Amino acid sequence: MVSTLINDVLLQPLGIYVIALGAGFLVPLFNRAHRGSAILVFLAALAAMVAISGINLIAIMNGAAPVDIETAGIAPPFSINLRFGLYEGGFVLAVNTAAILAALHLLPLLKQHASALLLYLILVMGINGMIMTRDLFNLFIFIEITSIATYALIGIERTGSVLAAGFKYIIATSIASSFFLLGTIFIYYQAGTLNIDDIIAHRHLVQGPVGFIACLFVLTSLLIELKPYPANGWGLDVYETAPSGIASLISVGVSAGVFFAVYKILPLMADYMNSIALIGGITFLVSNVIGLKQINVKRLLGYSSIGQMGLLTLALALLLQLDASSLLPLIVGGLFINHLLAKAGLFWLAGIINRSDIHDWSAIAQRPGLLFLLGTLIAALIGLPPFPGFWAKWQLVMLLADGGEYAWISLLLVGSLLEAAYLFRWFSHARAADENHANISVNFWQTTPVFIAALLLFGTGYGMSTVMHFNATYMFLPIVAGFVLLLIDGVHGRLKDLPMLVIVAAGGYWLTRDLEGINRLFSYLLIGGGLLVSIAAMYRNDARKGFYPLLAILLLSLATLLHSKTSLEFFFSWELMTLSSYLLVTLGREGVKPGLRYLLFSLGSAYFIFTGFAVHYAATGSIEIASLGASGDTMGLVFSLLAIGFVIKMGGFGVHVWLPDAYAESNDDFTAILSAVISKAGVFGLIIVAANLGVRSDIGLDPAYVLGWIGILTATFGALMAVFQEDIKRLVAYSSMGQLGYIVTGIALMSHLGWVSALYMTVNHFLFKGILFLSIAGIILRTNERLMYKMGGLIKNMPVTFVFTMIAIIAMSGVPPLTGFGGKWMLFNALMDKGWHWIAALAFFSSAVAFLYMFRLLQTVFLGQRKLEHRELREAPIILLVPQFVMIVAIMIISAYPKLLLDPLSVAIDPWLANTLVWNGAALQTHYGYWNAPMIMMVVGGVWMVPLILLLLMSLTFRIQKVEQFNIVYAAERPNRPEDTHFAYNFFAHYDRALGFLVRPRATAFWNTVVEWSHTLGSTLRVFYNGNGQTYALFILIYFVAMFLLNGGLGQ
Amino acid sequence: MSIIADIPVSLIVLCSGLGLILIGLWGMLTQRNMIRMIVGFSLTDTGIHMVMVSIGYVTGGTAPIINDAVPMAEAASRIVDPVPSALVLTAIVIGLGVTAVMLSFAVRIYKARKTLMIDECTESKW
Amino acid sequence: MTDIDWLSKAAYFSLTLLIVTFYGLLVTAFIYRLIAKVQGRIGIPYRQPFINILKNIFKRTAISHGVMFYLGPVFRLAGGIGTLAFIPVIYGSEMFSNFSMAGDLFLVIYFMFFGQLGMALGAGESGHPYSAIGIARGLSQMTAYEVPFVLAVIAIVIQYDTLSLTEIVAAQQGGWQNWTLFTNWLAVLAAMLAFLGMTGYSPFDIFLAPQEIPIGPPTEFHSAYLSMLQTNRALFGATKLILFMNLFFGGATGWIELMIKTLLIYLVAIIVGVAFPRFRVEQAIRFFFKIPTLIGIMAIVYAQMVFVS
Repeated sequence: MVSTLINDVLLQPLGIYVIALGAGFLVPLFNRAHRGSAILVFLAALAAMVAISGINLIAIMNGAAPVDIETAGIAPPFSINLRFGLYEGGFVLAVNTAAILAALHLLPLLKQHASALLLYLILVMGINGMIMTRDLFNLFIFIEITSIATYALIGIERTGSVLAAGFKYIIATSIASSFFLLGTIFIYYQAGTLNIDDIIAHRHLVQGPVGFIACLFVLTSLLIELKPYPANGWGLDVYETAPSGIASLISVGVSAGVFFAVYKILPLMADYMNSIALIGGITFLVSNVIGLKQINVKRLLGYSSIGQMGLLTLALALLLQLDASSLLPLIVGGLFINHLLAKAGLFWLAGIINRSDIHDWSAIAQRPGLLFLLGTLIAALIGLPPFPGFWAKWQLVMLLADGGEYAWISLLLVGSLLEAAYLFRWFSHARAADENHANISVNFWQTTPVFIAALLLFGTGYGMSTVMHFNATYMFLPIVAGFVLLLIDGVHGRLKDLPMLVIVAAGGYWLTRDLEGINRLFSYLLIGGGLLVSIAAMYRNDARKGFYPLLAILLLSLATLLHSKTSLEFFFSWELMTLSSYLLVTLGREGVKPGLRYLLFSLGSAYFIFTGFAVHYAATGSIEIASLGASGDTMGLVFSLLAIGFVIKMGGFGVHVWLPDAYAESNDDFTAILSAVISKAGVFGLIIVAANLGVRSDIGLDPAYVLGWIGILTATFGALMAVFQEDIKRLVAYSSMGQLGYIVTGIALMSHLGWVSALYMTVNHFLFKGILFLSIAGIILRTNERLMYKMGGLIKNMPVTFVFTMIAIIAMSGVPPLTGFGGKWMLFNALMDKGWHWIAALAFFSSAVAFLYMFRLLQTVFLGQRKLEHRELREAPIILLVPQFVMIVAIMIISAYPKLLLDPLSVAIDPWLANTLVWNGAALQTHYGYWNAPMIMMVVGGVWMVPLILLLLMSLTFRIQKVEQFNIVYAAERPNRPEDTHFAYNFFAHYDRALGFLVRPRATAFWNTVVEWSHTLGSTLRVFYNGNGQTYALFILIYFVAMFLLNGGLGQ
Repeated sequence: MSIIADIPVSLIVLCSGLGLILIGLWGMLTQRNMIRMIVGFSLTDTGIHMVMVSIGYVTGGTAPIINDAVPMAEAASRIVDPVPSALVLTAIVIGLGVTAVMLSFAVRIYKARKTLMIDECTESKW
Repeated sequence: MTDIDWLSKAAYFSLTLLIVTFYGLLVTAFIYRLIAKVQGRIGIPYRQPFINILKNIFKRTAISHGVMFYLGPVFRLAGGIGTLAFIPVIYGSEMFSNFSMAGDLFLVIYFMFFGQLGMALGAGESGHPYSAIGIARGLSQMTAYEVPFVLAVIAIVIQYDTLSLTEIVAAQQGGWQNWTLFTNWLAVLAAMLAFLGMTGYSPFDIFLAPQEIPIGPPTEFHSAYLSMLQTNRALFGATKLILFMNLFFGGATGWIELMIKTLLIYLVAIIVGVAFPRFRVEQAIRFFFKIPTLIGIMAIVYAQMVFVS
């Protein structure tokens, strides 16, 4: 008897209502006896609701039929019925899970108000009902039940602002539901039934002006409950003021119910699909623009919530328009679950930290656990891998591209970028430790719901990857490695580097062992090179919280990037790389702000790549990277989009503004990785694109020429800007940008020689930039300075570092006989071959300009007069010098025997471009000239020995005297302070007078203007939110009128 | 006189209902006092109820009880549709609940800040 | 080409080196005398540069500011010798083709930086601010005059379709009308304007500032170091003249032709030098970016139109 009761009633979906109402009666009873027991009953009821929805959902997923709950013993349409199918089950389970977690979060508040327990249960039941009911009027009832419970819960806290916000909320929603009721009754008038399925079956009856008005009322009221722009100020006020647990439930629970209601009635609304999509799209975009201006955390989350609901609505409408309802669970479901968990988690976190201004969030800067949660939730919300939003957005964009809806794709991506901007700005403030922060104390148990939400995000993310048939479990290796290293992250000291190196080496080897061709080459460079440079990280012995796990994720995501066969895998790895490198940048001294800029440009670049892949998918129906070349007419577009993306990532001219600060403010050893290794990911991407798209087509040529110009302008301006830097890291950062410019040009050449030169320069760039940045790390370690004019004469203290730096600089400059010359020689030959004479001339000029900053670096740091306080400095630590030495050896070998490098490069390119390298013995011959590297090495060595021996011989005849620092001929003046005598500050003042006008920060000014305009736009768009409840009510009415006009109401 | 008599009752109810809705909306939008706004809402609500009732009414119809007076075959055309009336009952209850919550909010707002003017409750904005 | 007789090559090259150095020193003396004549002085005897070098070599005291300071002149002289080594001096003569089979015109242009960079580092270690100032100015000016020069070079690479110096000279054989000077005079004009900056005579001599003492890179160098620098100045100057002769004036089939041609080329710089006052660095840079660059661009356009079929 009892077991039948349990099986037939309680475990059925109906049990949700039975339990909610039953517990609703029991809670006050128990409360009389004992407050604690009432809470126990309350939580048990919620747990039971989760369990019931879970059990039933699993049953349905295993093939059971959807459960129909009939009432009054009569079959529908003559009675109300509820349905628990796959979609309903998913929503209900998600909402109930969020509800129990929110309840846990709210417990301290709920303990004070016994009546709140009851209201909470009713609220959750109401949402369940909204999702399950199949009766239009019953839907109204459940909406009202939910609303009344919500109103009451908002009013628990009796401060003026909450109550005021609550009152506005009530006014707004009750106007909306009044219209819903009117619409319902009109529909009934025409269709003669209230059963939704029945109405849909007889939708031809709903017609004429009355039918139009009826549908308009029902639809618009539901949409208004979803808070569309601009009729949503009331929702924002509640998000801002209500207790975070309640706000979270409104954001994810109530909205979910209403959203599902919209989904249910959509079959009636076929004529309105465009307006629905438009409303969703505008709301998504505008909320995210306005969010930029917001500094109140909960209101910020409110804007994000509204935006996400807009996105869901947009996705729903577009999917139905594109006849892709089979993708609903994946796209809409994925976006929904992503929003649900991430947004709720963020609201709870906001409640725990209880700092309303984002600037005050530096309170958690010293709490890695909280930062981890915040970062995870934000990353999920933006749709970064591996979270559900990533997969859903991927699928959505692919689908839109397939349907040719490129306007929607741009809206989606622009909105996402804006959302990333303000959410990660919040994260940045939380990351930035400032001196007057009050460290916050947080009870571990309080964070449990947030933690569970984060875990569920990881879990559902992984789950979605399997649903998407992303049969590449190894793609998750970086994340797993990161977690493993996180376990030992508490240990202090440099030896933490070793497990990281072992894991990355093993994982990297395993991932890249089967690669061939260009991917294989890059695996040596990215993984091998990354490991080599990472060895140097051991020079620091401090805690470095998070550094090694993130570095492991970064390096292994490079390995998965190389391993990628499909654009999805590629994009997955790319985003993972972006995220981990961003976090690593923020670990630097002042890295938070530049980090944000880096992230936003990287995301922008990722979205270009994303769109490129989408266009390719639309053209070919395939996501195989190897099929990029089959893009047909869209080939030029795909090429351009992908190339733009990769060029942004490489710091191309005009979009380079993120680069100097990100490089300069990162940890010094990480800058070496960033410049020497990570930038090569962009090179790899560009090569892949060029290989698959550029070569096989003739139309690829025009974008390639543009690319060649972009590359050379990057080289020129990078060099010019480097000349005027006082900060050593910024100087080398700009230099890095410039040197990558040559590589871009080399790739753009689309010829065998061009590519060989590009790859050769890539290897060379890795070597000399690795050395330079590691040397700089040593210099900064010893001097604690970054401004070059505050150094000087360090050759006496750090001779080894000086020699390494000098060799690196010669290798960079292109002066024979070291490696740089080969790259320049091949590039120049390839350029002449192609007839790109102007680019060749600029290449010459920029490499001449490069001499200025290269000399400046050596002169002002190592030569000239040493500062008094630097007399006792020691050589850089040996662990920094070892990787540099390895790279010096490599430079020397390649300089003398470039064939060792050029042959494998040439073989790797062979599948795409026929080998044009002609070897005449050791000499490389081109159409124009020849280059005999071993011989040059011999001759230069020989002629260098001649004066050396001469001088040595001469010095035998007299005694060489080592002199003191100021023993110089100084025209009757007697210098006594090194500061006066070291010519270093504003070194190229005259050059600045002549050519400085070229490098005034125009690009930075441009992007600042973009930011400013976005903010101005944001403040313009939010003027509607004047805080007055009547204005909000007016907007609701206007909204109805607008919908009426928009859908041709006058014509009806 | 006869013209008025010819107008069906349901239409009169419908029109007055719609009129009430508009009056109520006007009240909610123009009256800054929260209590007056709530009155406005009540009017709108009542108006909606009247509209609902009017929709189910069949002119000259009888009560929806199927007995000897109304044969089964003619039921559909002769009886007043019972469903809207049933719905109105529910809607009235709900409207009552909402009005009560609104009033309680108004009371508490007055307690918290000694005013009932909605335009003085605008500290959350932008 | 792989099996070269290093010993005889080295021996031949030593001979070339001796001749060019000797010639360079003679020209230096000639120029000084010429300038003196213009300025109404008598000037130095022809033997003076040789005496200077010998005197400096055997001066007794020598101080060093450190290893790099010591290596500076070494780099500088190696740069001069090496540049010469990669240029075929006499057309058609295997003996005086030096090591030009190791690399082409591009190698020569880039190798010219070798000495400058090493010298700059050596001067830098001296700790003398005037050295650093001189180098900063010199490098800045270099980036400017490189532009017309490179444009001219590209124009003739288009014209002759090769980077090989030997082939460029070969293409100019068969009479003066085949010289680049007459086949592509725009390129030569641009290059000769660049040449003014390259030689470091007035108006482009501020980085060396020969009248003011002490300033410029060699400020701290003396005795043996100075002798090497002086040697190199003569050698490197002559080498650049030979390069220009090869590129634009038909090369030379014998030493006499070489000396006449190079002297005439040099005179261009001298005549301009004695006639014009000195530019400041930024003025010099702006100068090169205006007319000479424009001429260089026209040279390439001309080459593209005429020589690219």
